[in-house]
Amino acid sequence: MYLKDFTYHKPQTLIEACRILEQCNNGSPIAGGTDILVELKKGLRQNEEIVSLMEIKELKTINENGSELIIGSCATHNEVLKSSLVKKIIPALSEAASKIGTDQIRNTGTIGGNLCTGASCCDMAPILIALNASVEIVSSTSKRVVSLKDFFIFHKETSIKKGELMTKIIVPIPQSNVGTSFEKFGLRETASISVASVCVSITSDGNICTDSSIVIGAVAPTPRMSKKGSEILNGKKINELAKDSALLKSIGETVVKDSLPVDDLRGSAEFRRQLVNVLTQRAVVKAAKRSINYLIE
Amino acid sequence: MKLLIKINVNGTEYELAVKPSTTLLDLLRNQLLLTGAKKGCELGDCGACTVLLNGKAVNSCLVLAVEADGQNVLTIEGLAKGEKLHPIQQAFVEKGAIQCGFCTPGMILRTKAFLDEKPDPSKEEIKKELSGNLCRCTGYTKILEAVETSKAYLRGEEPGEIEYQPQKSAMNLSVVGKRLPKIDAPDKATGRAIYTDDIVLPNMIYGKLLLSPLPHAKIKSIKTEKAKALPGVKVILTGADVTDLTYGTSPPRYDENVLAKDKVRYVGDVVAAVAAIDEETCYKAIKLIEVEYEELPAVFDSMEAMKDGAPRLFDDKYENNINTRVDHHFGDIEKGFAEADYIKEARFVGNRIYQNPIEPHCAIAEWDRHGRVTVYTSTQVVHYVHHQLSRVLNLPLGNIRVIMYNCGGGFGAKAATNMLEILSILLSKEAGCPVKMRFNREEMYLYGRGRHKQYIDLKIGVKKDGSITAVKQKAVLEGGAYSSFGIVSTYYAGSMLPTLYKFSNYKYDGYRVNTNLPPCGAMRGHGTPHPRFAFESLLSMIADDIGMDHIDIRLKNAMEPETRTCNDLDIHSCEFKACLEKVRIKSGWDKKKGKLPKGRGIGIGCGGFVSGAGYPIYRSKFPHSNAIIKVQEDGSKAVLFVGDADIGQGSDTVLAQAAAEAMGISFDRMSVVSADSDITPIGFGAYSSRVTLMGGNASKMAGEEVKKQILSIASEMMNIDAENLDAQNNMIFEKTNPDNFVPWDVAATNFFSKHGPLVGKGHYSPPEGLGGNYKGAAVGTSPAFSFSASVCEVEVDVETGKVKVLNFWDAHDCGTAINPMAVEGQVEGAVVMGMSETLLEDEVFDSNGKMRNPDLHNYLIATSADIPDIDSTIVDSYEPAGPFGAKEVGEGATLPVLGAIANAVADAIGVRIFELPITPERVLNAIRSKAK
Repeated sequence: MYLKDFTYHKPQTLIEACRILEQCNNGSPIAGGTDILVELKKGLRQNEEIVSLMEIKELKTINENGSELIIGSCATHNEVLKSSLVKKIIPALSEAASKIGTDQIRNTGTIGGNLCTGASCCDMAPILIALNASVEIVSSTSKRVVSLKDFFIFHKETSIKKGELMTKIIVPIPQSNVGTSFEKFGLRETASISVASVCVSITSDGNICTDSSIVIGAVAPTPRMSKKGSEILNGKKINELAKDSALLKSIGETVVKDSLPVDDLRGSAEFRRQLVNVLTQRAVVKAAKRSINYLIE
Repeated sequence: MKLLIKINVNGTEYELAVKPSTTLLDLLRNQLLLTGAKKGCELGDCGACTVLLNGKAVNSCLVLAVEADGQNVLTIEGLAKGEKLHPIQQAFVEKGAIQCGFCTPGMILRTKAFLDEKPDPSKEEIKKELSGNLCRCTGYTKILEAVETSKAYLRGEEPGEIEYQPQKSAMNLSVVGKRLPKIDAPDKATGRAIYTDDIVLPNMIYGKLLLSPLPHAKIKSIKTEKAKALPGVKVILTGADVTDLTYGTSPPRYDENVLAKDKVRYVGDVVAAVAAIDEETCYKAIKLIEVEYEELPAVFDSMEAMKDGAPRLFDDKYENNINTRVDHHFGDIEKGFAEADYIKEARFVGNRIYQNPIEPHCAIAEWDRHGRVTVYTSTQVVHYVHHQLSRVLNLPLGNIRVIMYNCGGGFGAKAATNMLEILSILLSKEAGCPVKMRFNREEMYLYGRGRHKQYIDLKIGVKKDGSITAVKQKAVLEGGAYSSFGIVSTYYAGSMLPTLYKFSNYKYDGYRVNTNLPPCGAMRGHGTPHPRFAFESLLSMIADDIGMDHIDIRLKNAMEPETRTCNDLDIHSCEFKACLEKVRIKSGWDKKKGKLPKGRGIGIGCGGFVSGAGYPIYRSKFPHSNAIIKVQEDGSKAVLFVGDADIGQGSDTVLAQAAAEAMGISFDRMSVVSADSDITPIGFGAYSSRVTLMGGNASKMAGEEVKKQILSIASEMMNIDAENLDAQNNMIFEKTNPDNFVPWDVAATNFFSKHGPLVGKGHYSPPEGLGGNYKGAAVGTSPAFSFSASVCEVEVDVETGKVKVLNFWDAHDCGTAINPMAVEGQVEGAVVMGMSETLLEDEVFDSNGKMRNPDLHNYLIATSADIPDIDSTIVDSYEPAGPFGAKEVGEGATLPVLGAIANAVADAIGVRIFELPITPERVLNAIRSKAK
């Protein structure tokens, strides 16, 4: 096992990075390298040119503008996880980041890399989609903002085109009446790929769920929203969302219908359907509780 | 093109030219020769390469060296200041947190980064935070203790001593029975311990293997011209270039070619070997070798392979692919079942698993100009490698030197001669320079030699009172393409059952079947864990059916001392009942069994194993273990030379303790040289849990010989008869008046001055005539047997099927524990490895026989976050055949685990899982099928 030779670029600016990517033959950006170096070593991909993003400082910042949290695409998982800003305004994001890989992986792997790899089991996508996040994508000549729910096209296929880079993840800061929770099922306690994951975000008004989103991971070619699940949830009373209730079960079963799981090493499609059902119910209960916590406080 | 980087490593600024594709790990290891960062998986899964980059832990295998430009790197070599260990290193050494040591540098650095950030983490936080560093030896338990101790040291506190009640048999001993840190632990904690892959010889080149991409095919032709033309390629060998002599592990089944001759039998079979200036060139050359195959039909399942007309792996032998057949009948099985009041039978299915030592296999060969070759290799069995190389290469033993410096874990994966050892020698001979060969993680899985997957049909008959009247077992072992240890595995699958419970009517039918998959071999517990899982499961099912407590039915049938089993094995010391009683009390069994809430369960499993095989692998009259002790001329140190290999289990330490006790000196005066065929007398090596008993006896005997000589010189000095003198704690004293003494080193100096070298030698052979007279009677014989009982408590998430093992209470009869801390380390490691194989591990192949999970990303093993609390007890016991009463613990401790977990899960969910691993999916399916 070895890394084939490649040409290494270390641009100082974003524009320069985009230009190199545009011009080079079969190039790839590298952020933390935790996915791309594995794929290169295994021979699953061949890149003749590698463009390092480490010198582009603007890609590493995490800040807010009053209504949005803006995370640079090259912030590492641990930087997101440990950011006091993130913990303060969207703690569920920090929680999701803590479920990724190992400390070593979280110290190098980045949030942008996690999304751009385009794996359906990507652990940051469900919560970001649930929170209606978008990503900024730039090229040397243009800039566009894409809603994250439209970003994923298929397994390992995203809307990023040649010469483009993801620069930031823009997350609308949820109001205090929004509760979010992320449930992940891996085969080990830590350091395992999601067999299935579900993120639920609930907006409540008093005791009523006024809006919601449910996003499932690792059970379809891309992270996927379950609109039908949300439709059932919306308008329901929070205190009716009790464990083992018929309502909760119907939400779980409905979300399962929006999944498109496959059999793989980690579990069969049927097992994944069962997991989606259970995880959905758990995430709904938790998110519902969190959405009304502000009332109690 | 190389790029210039500036990097600060351990406080030193370097300006280095690196290729962009060089990883930080390769830069550290190859350019700076800082080999403390280890290459375990190369894909960011194991954490053995962990270093601190600007204070943060990273997998240096997944960091490009160019990306570390301008940054600070701390490796294990930079942690200790001078000779003084860093407090974390100190804690790891003292607490027994280091076994093979291969994961240790990464583990210590990760601990440092973590404690720097958070000085007082909780136990749960520590478990989670260390989960990026895999350890296969320790079961993480002592590592967690070491982190707790580190916390205290870093706060400037002295942690309290562990309260330990010595065994009765160790009460009057001064070195044996002590919880001493391993003799090699400081070197392993500082990155100084040298493993084979850390060795770089002048003018050394590298070798790699071309592996078959097909599961079964005839080789029509091999063309190597293009590969040979690649710049940097030195030698290419194919089947035509090597001997026709086949090799393997068991002499009746030598069926492997050094390189494939006419056909390949599995994806991963070895077709050609390349030596070149670096590994990268080797890989490129391998792609240029053109092999024309004629594909043959293949078979992957043992049941299919046995059928008439199934594709045959060997045309000339193993009819119906049945490579080994065992037909044993003891007592009268019909009569036994006729006497039973209740009979139950069931089929159990095991899993195909791999040892996964964190250190990959590696060998380096170097020829001198006198026709002698030296091989450095990561092996458990220096002598068997030596013997087999002599046979395959047609060289006398004296022309081969085999050295094992440190071995990063084996568990059976390194218990035989492998192709790296043979081919590095052949390539080196052709190239005229040293050649290093190593497996990467995928190649390790493909080389295989892991646990056979067994299909077991088990039937047990009992009386109303629970006493067993008859046992019938049929085991089909899926063996993969070659024999390896398989003949022995098949016998072991049957022979160990009668050692734990008393029964006199026993029928065993064993079949080992070849398939077009990687060869299976000997893994911890060798052949026995799956039958034991089946037996412990079925016994508990029977107990339920006849309304008996699970521990009571075991006590009813438990083996007793001085018993001859139905298959002619002689049990001497046996404290199995004490083990059962101990875990019953410690686990709170009587309060918990049948009384836990839904989803919680408790279960018992038991086991026992040989303390060393009674007979060698090949016919030989040599003593099985041998030792020489050479005392320094001033008596300040005694050096113990033993052939047996310390693979992390701590045998160097344990054997030195036995020798020191026998000589009457303290442990700090011991030094050990082991596993070097030129320097150390032969020891058959670290397999079949043999070293403590056999190596221990040899070391003790050598020590006694030294003691005899030193007492005689002291007798002259003190003018007292030697029989009235004794030696202990570095003093030689009058037995009736200990105040009359001479220091041991003064006597030793005197001895050397008068008589020259003070040397003792010892040897050990098992008693002659062990076992019965039937075919295969040798397998299972041993001078002594261990016994153990384990209770396990689990929590099952009944909605997802996930099993969390909460607690393990283990009691082990290992005779006198020569080093109780090392015994606990073996038990904890065995519990976690056993838990991992019961719940997580399984090799998966696609329909063309290609392994789908040959890595540590998809083949999951337990991390620190998964482990239960483990409480291990060593019961009072004394084995007359063992040194100071000692016997085995290494493999026996694995055996109870599978059954204990299976029984606990059954208790928790009310339905039984018959197939391993017990995955969430299987649990959920079982729960659902019960609900229907």
